[in-house]
Amino acid sequence: MTDERGASPLVTITGMIKDFPGNRALDDVSLSVHSGEVVAVVGHNGSGKSTLVKILAGVYTSDGGTVELSSREGEQTELHIIHQDLGLASELNGIENLGITKYPGASAFAPFNKKKEREHALELISRFGEPFDVEVAISRLAPAQRSIIAIARALDGWLHPRNVLILDEPTEALHASEVRILFDAVKKLAAAGAGVIFISHRLDEVLEIADRVVILRDGKKVADEGVETLDHDKLVSYVTGVPIGVAEVGESHRRRGDVAMNVEGLAGSGLEGIDLTLYSGEVVGVAGVLGSGREALPAMLFGGTPSDAASFTLAGTSYDRRTPGESIRRGMAFVPGDRAKHGSVRPLTARENVTLTELKSLTNKMGAIDEKRERDLVVGLIDRYDVKPPRSEQVFAQFSGGNQQKLVFAKWLRNRPAVLLLEEPTQGVDIGAKQALYDAIDIAAAAGSAVLVCSSEAKELVRLCDRVLVLRNGRVAAELSGDQLTETRLVMEGYGLVNEGEL
Amino acid sequence: MKKTESITTIDEVAPASRPAQNRWVQLLGFRNISAIYIGVLLFVIFAIVTPRTFLTPGTWLVLLDAQSITVLAAIAVLIPLVNGVFNLAIGAEVGFAVILVSVLQVNFNVPFGIAIPLAILVGAFIGLVSGLIVTKAKIDSFIATLGMSSILLAGLSFMSENRQIIGLQDGFRLFATGGLPLSLDNPNFKITNPVFIMLLVSFIVWYLLERTPVGRRMYAVGYNADGARLSGVNVDRLQIASLMAGGMIAALAGVLLASRINAGDPTVGPGLLLPALTAVFLGSTQFKGGRFNVWGTVLSVYVLAIGIKGLQLLGAQNWVSDLFNGVALLAAVGLSRWEATSKRGSAIRRALPFGRKKDKVEA
Repeated sequence: MTDERGASPLVTITGMIKDFPGNRALDDVSLSVHSGEVVAVVGHNGSGKSTLVKILAGVYTSDGGTVELSSREGEQTELHIIHQDLGLASELNGIENLGITKYPGASAFAPFNKKKEREHALELISRFGEPFDVEVAISRLAPAQRSIIAIARALDGWLHPRNVLILDEPTEALHASEVRILFDAVKKLAAAGAGVIFISHRLDEVLEIADRVVILRDGKKVADEGVETLDHDKLVSYVTGVPIGVAEVGESHRRRGDVAMNVEGLAGSGLEGIDLTLYSGEVVGVAGVLGSGREALPAMLFGGTPSDAASFTLAGTSYDRRTPGESIRRGMAFVPGDRAKHGSVRPLTARENVTLTELKSLTNKMGAIDEKRERDLVVGLIDRYDVKPPRSEQVFAQFSGGNQQKLVFAKWLRNRPAVLLLEEPTQGVDIGAKQALYDAIDIAAAAGSAVLVCSSEAKELVRLCDRVLVLRNGRVAAELSGDQLTETRLVMEGYGLVNEGEL
Repeated sequence: MKKTESITTIDEVAPASRPAQNRWVQLLGFRNISAIYIGVLLFVIFAIVTPRTFLTPGTWLVLLDAQSITVLAAIAVLIPLVNGVFNLAIGAEVGFAVILVSVLQVNFNVPFGIAIPLAILVGAFIGLVSGLIVTKAKIDSFIATLGMSSILLAGLSFMSENRQIIGLQDGFRLFATGGLPLSLDNPNFKITNPVFIMLLVSFIVWYLLERTPVGRRMYAVGYNADGARLSGVNVDRLQIASLMAGGMIAALAGVLLASRINAGDPTVGPGLLLPALTAVFLGSTQFKGGRFNVWGTVLSVYVLAIGIKGLQLLGAQNWVSDLFNGVALLAAVGLSRWEATSKRGSAIRRALPFGRKKDKVEA
């Protein structure tokens, strides 16, 4: 784009490796950014995008590989990173947030020049179009204005333009018009000679803003191409690993039973009205990008977060005041996505975690828990789900991720739920445990449970589900089943890339 | 490093394969019951230094009797703390009950048989209010109970007019001073009622916390309220119930205290907060490997009391108990945090020179 394209890159990442227990998050990833260039890094959740950013930010240390920054005529390239949550203090105003990263050491004790600060702040944000009020708390600004504050802060005090700006999913909270403002700002910056790394999973945005696209899949770099030679289909096939035009369909031999749950007009934070019917013996998937409502749905059905519904029936009876306790009594089970925060009580033992949902059947006449009966039950479940090490008295936190999830499954499946809600059931789980969890889901469905799987992994949904609802902006955008249920279609629908004509 | 190494290497063995004999070794290991060893050590030291006063049965019976009220206060702190709720109003709750039960008897001529249950009922009500503030108004328990404490102290001053209330009913005094005589010739040699009440309350609370579903859920709430809620536990209800139970036990302690000193003294309650809190945290390092628990708390109250008693018999000033409790609280919380964060072995054992070095490779 500029004449500097051919010169040495601003930042060169070579052979980056990062291992987590059980899986390799980054496997020999190399990538370089030149002055004036916008490089997009795309991939599914778990593809290694955020691991890469965290290594560059110094949050993680890599297990191999190097990062080289250019240094030309005394102009040392710096990395400026804007994280997904922006890192702003929400009760401070714009001026104060812009000042957080400044004033090192003793200068922090010098009094402010309020007028100068204000002028400087307005000057900074006016680079991105119309200035706005910088003296109100960040929490009262529009999402795009917050992003601008964060970007302006990252750009403040650059001694030269040859720096690299890294944006991690910057458009997550923005409307289309706001995205435009952000993109203009980024393009201006690149035109001035900066390098930009743009992390995203919104493929249409990537095609619009990037000069070059690097695609990660399962921690590996699968493609590094100029945007001229890319289109939607090609991107999707890179992201999913499925060649264009090849349909891979999950097979199903399940028998659909009676209606287990029927919901009409479910609405709440992140959902704008969902109709949903689950039949016993079937596995229904829920897909959608982050923010589509996918991650909000199961907790709402379970009563973990508040919601309204026009009608909500469970096994034929109306169920209006939803709480987790009542849901469990009515035969629901919920495996939350965040195992540490919601799915378990980490300092308690495996035994205490597994039986926490239902202790009544384990008590004796004195109202006490019959410890022998409890232990026998848990030892049996540990054996059935092949938890390693097979110790019912080990503290939950000391098990590996996969075995923790097996324990969470044991906890919820032990009383044969009529409705099983799963949120990211195999997140942070190694491949061996993943297969065991899939088997457990299959068996639960075969035993008559109605299963709902909310997952960001298209492959998982195709493997498990009889049909999949695709959510977009809090609504059901599509329902796929049979021949249509393919990874490619799921990704396309999730991003809203399907044209009306193609249907 | 030392000879003692060979004795306690069982920690590395899988629990499943641990022989029964080693179970005993672990049970009696320093990590599990360090307070008992410290208590014995303190006992031996003071017995050698001040044998004439320290080794008299009278000293011990008074200690047992007086500290049983501290134990009740500590249990009143313990139950909410198991649920993740601090009750910093405990001292004020005890003090409030002291004055209430006295005022009812003296100013309103209520028979003590009615005044006692009434005071305990008011204790439950105070707990209910604190619980509603914590769970429904979502005010952090630290702040909520601190505010509650100040309000109760104001009420206590108002009722007592900052004076000792004397002239309690005759039978009331026997409530705390009666007991089981140990010797026929000396009626003062007896195990008093508060000791039995303390043991009974301890047993009931132990049973509820560690043997019943309610207790299991309470521990779950304390460790991870969100996780417990999504497992069907009614978090709010348990936290309110825990503060109510704590309030009742605190009121019981207050009643016993008033009976013991035979007066409504407005100054005696608030001083119980620190020893109670200290004992609960120190107790959590005992028996249950980091969990707050009843018997660890009971043990800790007495070990701390032995230390303070010994120092006082040596001629230390009154402030030594504040100093001792403060240092012990910081040490106990520090040790329990350290134990929670260190992956293996015992923090206490590593900190002490005669402990076993687990990382032998380092040596």
